Amino acid sequence: MAVNDLVIGAVGRGGDGVVLSGELLMASAASQGLYGYMVQSYGPQIRGGESSFRARFSKVQVSSPGDFLDLLVVFDWGAYKMFKQELKPKENGFVLFDEENPAPEGDVLLSIVSQGRALAVPFAKLSKEAAGGLQGKNVVMLGVLCGLFGFDAAGVKAGIEKKFKKKSEDVASKNLAAFEAGLSYGEANSTYETQKMRLEYVPGRPPKLVLSGNEALALGALHAGCRFYAGYPITPSSEILEFMGKNMPKFGGSFIQAEDELASIGMILGASFGGTKAMTATSGPGFSLMAEMLGLGSMMEIPAVIVDVQRTGPSTGIPTKSEQSDLWQAVFGTHGDAPRVVLAPSDVEDCFHAAVDAFNIAEEYQLPVVILSDQLLAQRKVTLPPLPLDKPVSNRRQPEEKDLADGYSRYRLGGPDGVSPMAVPGDPRAIYQTTGLEHNEKGEPTSSFELHEEMNEKRYKKLKAIAERYHYVRHYGPQGAEIGILAWGSSKGAIKEAVTNANALGRKVAAFIPELLYPFPKRELESFIKPLKRIIILELSYSAQFYKYLRTFLELPEERVLLKKRSGGTFLGVAEVESAIEEAFK
Amino acid sequence: MSAQVMKPNNYRNPLKPVWCPGCGDFGVVAALYRALAQLQLPPEKVAVLSGIGCSSRLPGYMATYGFNGVHGRALPVATGLKASRPDLTVIVAGGDGDGVSIGAGHFIHTARRNADITYVMMDNQIYGLTKGQVAPTTPAGDKTKSTLYGNPDPPVDPCELAIAAGATFVARTFSADMKGQVEILTQAIQHKGFSMVDIISPCVTFRGDGQYDFWKPKLRALPEGYDPSNRADAMRFCREEGVLTTGILFRNARPGLVEHQEQIRKASGYNPASPPKIEELVRTFYP
Repeated sequence: MAVNDLVIGAVGRGGDGVVLSGELLMASAASQGLYGYMVQSYGPQIRGGESSFRARFSKVQVSSPGDFLDLLVVFDWGAYKMFKQELKPKENGFVLFDEENPAPEGDVLLSIVSQGRALAVPFAKLSKEAAGGLQGKNVVMLGVLCGLFGFDAAGVKAGIEKKFKKKSEDVASKNLAAFEAGLSYGEANSTYETQKMRLEYVPGRPPKLVLSGNEALALGALHAGCRFYAGYPITPSSEILEFMGKNMPKFGGSFIQAEDELASIGMILGASFGGTKAMTATSGPGFSLMAEMLGLGSMMEIPAVIVDVQRTGPSTGIPTKSEQSDLWQAVFGTHGDAPRVVLAPSDVEDCFHAAVDAFNIAEEYQLPVVILSDQLLAQRKVTLPPLPLDKPVSNRRQPEEKDLADGYSRYRLGGPDGVSPMAVPGDPRAIYQTTGLEHNEKGEPTSSFELHEEMNEKRYKKLKAIAERYHYVRHYGPQGAEIGILAWGSSKGAIKEAVTNANALGRKVAAFIPELLYPFPKRELESFIKPLKRIIILELSYSAQFYKYLRTFLELPEERVLLKKRSGGTFLGVAEVESAIEEAFK
Repeated sequence: MSAQVMKPNNYRNPLKPVWCPGCGDFGVVAALYRALAQLQLPPEKVAVLSGIGCSSRLPGYMATYGFNGVHGRALPVATGLKASRPDLTVIVAGGDGDGVSIGAGHFIHTARRNADITYVMMDNQIYGLTKGQVAPTTPAGDKTKSTLYGNPDPPVDPCELAIAAGATFVARTFSADMKGQVEILTQAIQHKGFSMVDIISPCVTFRGDGQYDFWKPKLRALPEGYDPSNRADAMRFCREEGVLTTGILFRNARPGLVEHQEQIRKASGYNPASPPKIEELVRTFYP
């Protein structure tokens, strides 16, 4: 007997190595070809504070972190208090805690798990015996989990070796000893009940990748030919900066940590003006700073990719938690009429695709492309099948002989899609001067109303062409559904799962997740909502930015709409979506 | 194109400048044409970038590649261009407000990075494009449209700031001194690293048409045998009372942006003969 869906969480203080243990479980699952999904949380301290992970494993794809835990490990009850809203065990779940750190009297948590499922384990004692200190507690825990619940011990051991041999042979052998001690303890204490929680493995599966959304996005950028990156550290986007700092030079590109976000976007516009594909990544506050030069890129028609990994706002908000409240600033932010494209990946694999698509659209249509990611998407780790590294890559149109016949005009009007060939400095045939001032076809400044109108039209024509050419939509559920959900971004995970569950119960529910948010996919949305009896709109924005955004372009039949919006700060749960579906059927 | 001998006019765009008659910027752009001709740089290999202000219109008057961006941000744009295209000669032109007020942060960091860019600052001590408000370089006490009761704050000296921030070539000259400007601009463009040339470029419209008469008697050349590698001496000459010392105030050599990018690529294991494949990088993400 084994289960096909297991959610496990662990929480501890700094030094407990909780997050590392989660990573090792993910590596083990990936090596067996299982699907995994892991999120981490940290307390507000810079170093040494509380931390937790929650990971879900299955032989089939999992799209959310799961609402409740099957297994919870608590190294420290004070730390647990911080994360108890995020780490709720199931009634028939197991809670493991250190026998040296027993649960406080009358703990509510232990009263919800059934008798015999709250296990006091000698984590610290075993670590001291096997590794000569407390630093092996996390690895002891992994051993115990393998012993009690049948996790794949070989995969965890391989992960431990890979991780700790980088430090030293001694550290690696101590950790392996700690793991073995935990494993023996777990095996000796396993029961029929613990073995019932054994995870189902599929023999012979090829190993899977382990990637975060930020990593997948950065890999997509490199695949697309990005060879210049400038950025400024900001949570939760900094992993992209660090990835590029490490890998961009290996690909012969340039990486600069800029003095601020104004400089970051300035640098990428400069690099792209010079013919090099360029990207920056930031979060909401940094994106706000970039607004002025986003407009410059739009006006000068320079390809550029700007990533906004959303966190809660306004202002500093909650930097480590997701929200969907940068939609308006991505679509509308900056002065003037400044066309740009906004893509919103909805899972980790899509982060790779979005990066390649963003570069392709930016290059083909010579304008800034914004990728709206968010903390849950960017910082979670998942296991993935191989990435499609044969995904096609586009490059900008440079002037050909026919474009030079009567002198080169950088901003030639009259093209069907608003695109005019863009010369690269060094080309003696097509020297031009560009400007953020309104300009004529040559790029020379003008105050003419007629030219301003014509140039606006040229710049906006691109959006029309893009809307016709690109259709990035995720659609779940059956044709002819009565209830339809509209949502975007990382909320997709819980929605997809809830839609699958609902249809399994005979509820005809579908979901529509646009990944090209701007230009607005009007036609697709209209045909999706037309046959629906109820339309559920789900979003993590207190002011309902997505709902209002939809209403900007769509005639939404108010009597059929069920708006479910709330602040971010904690991710959308499957149960939350299911209750919205129930309400819609009433 | 390479066989052609380039003349100053080959760098000139026929577009008529928007500057007022008597504006110092005419002298600066003319000197820039001559310096480029002296260096015989192919126009297609030169990019001139700017922010916003009267002087920031300069790229439009060049027959080189040009980029007239937003207020205060020309240096980051130039940094991105130079880092990714070290083969180009990158020149930034702009005013004192653009450089040491709204763009002061970038000025410091571009100097610190020693980005191989020539920064031509046309210093008129006033906001001209917006018609006469106080600038970061306006002397204390001066009355302007936004300091009707006198400027309360002391001015920033762009040369002093550049030296302190790590620029490796800092010079001052005057827009009516064609010979001096051409000589300094030529050397600044040839300098490997961040070169800043502060050119006093009078605004006759908002600082009064007595500006040339005001400055001319104050001009002093650096003394014979002056050693520009001495930072303390250079700082002293920046802020003399009642005198404007022109010439190359400071010059030294250290690796900068372009060399650093090359070093980092090398340290990362990049080999242009066999660039890595994305597949190899993806492989490292398997357990």
